[in-house]
Amino acid sequence: MLLPAHDYVKPRTLEEGLGVLSRSGAAVRLLGGGTDVTFNMRNRLMQPAVLLSIRELPELLGVEEWPDGSLRIGAACRLADLAAHQAVNSRHPALAAAFKAVASSHVRNMATLGGNLNLDTRCWYANQTQEWRAAKGGCLKTGVDACHVVASVKTCVAINNADTPPALIALDATITLASAGGRRTLRLADYYRADGVTHTVRRTDEVLTEVIVPPTPDRLVFIKDTARLGIDFAYGTIAARRAADGRTRLVLGSLGPAPVVLRRAAVIATQRGLADTHIEEAAEAAREDLGVVSNLYTPAAYKRDLARELVRRALTALRDMP
Amino acid sequence: MSPKPLLRLTVNGDALELLVSPQQTLLDVIRDQVGLMGTKEGCTTGSCGVCTINNARGEAILSCLTPALEWDGQSITTIEGLERLGDLDAIQKSFVHYHAVQCGFCTPGVIMSAKAVLNRHPRPTDEQINDGMAGVICRCTGHIKVKEAIREAHAFAADPAAKP
Repeated sequence: MLLPAHDYVKPRTLEEGLGVLSRSGAAVRLLGGGTDVTFNMRNRLMQPAVLLSIRELPELLGVEEWPDGSLRIGAACRLADLAAHQAVNSRHPALAAAFKAVASSHVRNMATLGGNLNLDTRCWYANQTQEWRAAKGGCLKTGVDACHVVASVKTCVAINNADTPPALIALDATITLASAGGRRTLRLADYYRADGVTHTVRRTDEVLTEVIVPPTPDRLVFIKDTARLGIDFAYGTIAARRAADGRTRLVLGSLGPAPVVLRRAAVIATQRGLADTHIEEAAEAAREDLGVVSNLYTPAAYKRDLARELVRRALTALRDMP
Repeated sequence: MSPKPLLRLTVNGDALELLVSPQQTLLDVIRDQVGLMGTKEGCTTGSCGVCTINNARGEAILSCLTPALEWDGQSITTIEGLERLGDLDAIQKSFVHYHAVQCGFCTPGVIMSAKAVLNRHPRPTDEQINDGMAGVICRCTGHIKVKEAIREAHAFAADPAAKP
């Protein structure tokens, strides 16, 4: 099936692209590797007037190691290149694992980090063909005041199903958003909104150009749970970080409209340590904190159990790391 | 409507200039305009891998998930580009020898995925094969013979006169 009619625009410089966005950003869809956008356009979930190709903009490419030990990763870097990158692997092997966890090698040869960080939210209703969706009427995502997933909600509960945000959030990564008006930097943790329709704070005139990962001696673990690696999106992911003094951070992905930073479980792990009984306690807290998240793939009760299991596995892995 | 943009694309060594629509994916152009029907349309979601081709770096790419105009100035290889003057590529011979085919629908995508594995790792380990082939599905013959064929393809590469 052909993609919806649109104009294809490939700017030579970032400034040229930002000019297009400042004039007509709301009608533009940014195109990185295309693996999410092409799919959603074919299903008519995205019907932009303009497709703006940013994949080859020099400002969005390259991995740099800064003198302070930070890594600067261009948003248009391909996930395959990042998963294999020497500096990424030597500094943050769990981050490299998160890059490699995304889909198949085929997809990672195309998909960009910026594309994964902006991956559209997904649910079992919206991610169907236009004809399939039409049989049930529209939803919040297509401008209709209805949700077929959780009938009573007023805010879209589609899942943020991206594999890379939890590890980057756990690492305190920051991102740069560029617009014709200037640049702003924010923590990736502050980038996401728990709303499946507008799931980031990116303005329509902005481009996410780079990710900065600060150095850390802390341990980091990343786990993705799914049915079939290479094909399936995650049922749930977790990134867990622990400092030498015991400070622990836990970030869940794919279990709601935004990545979830688990506060209570992290406090328990930080204050009481990682003996088996305390890991159980932290895991149980995570289960209770997740709330009602019925949506894609699995029921809410399963997701809460999965959150508990992911916390248990991640904390155990942190403890047992050599 | 603005006039159709020009796509300069090298397919299997042939430099082509094609008038395409932004609405076409690379797969649409390969099949409908270049007329090479080996590359198949399957799931169109990135799950099945039957539309796999190789880019200029010999990597596996899903042609159904990328707008054709993204490929202006690029060079690609499809399943039709492997054979040279009637002589099959080593991976094709190996697939024949190990009978890594049943109905054949997914085979072009499977072979182009396998080719990408061998481009990087001429003697691939099982882990490298699994990683490179995780994105392609065969629903009839299973994956054991496919893995065998990839693992042993180096024998056909070493002896170009070998018949499967």
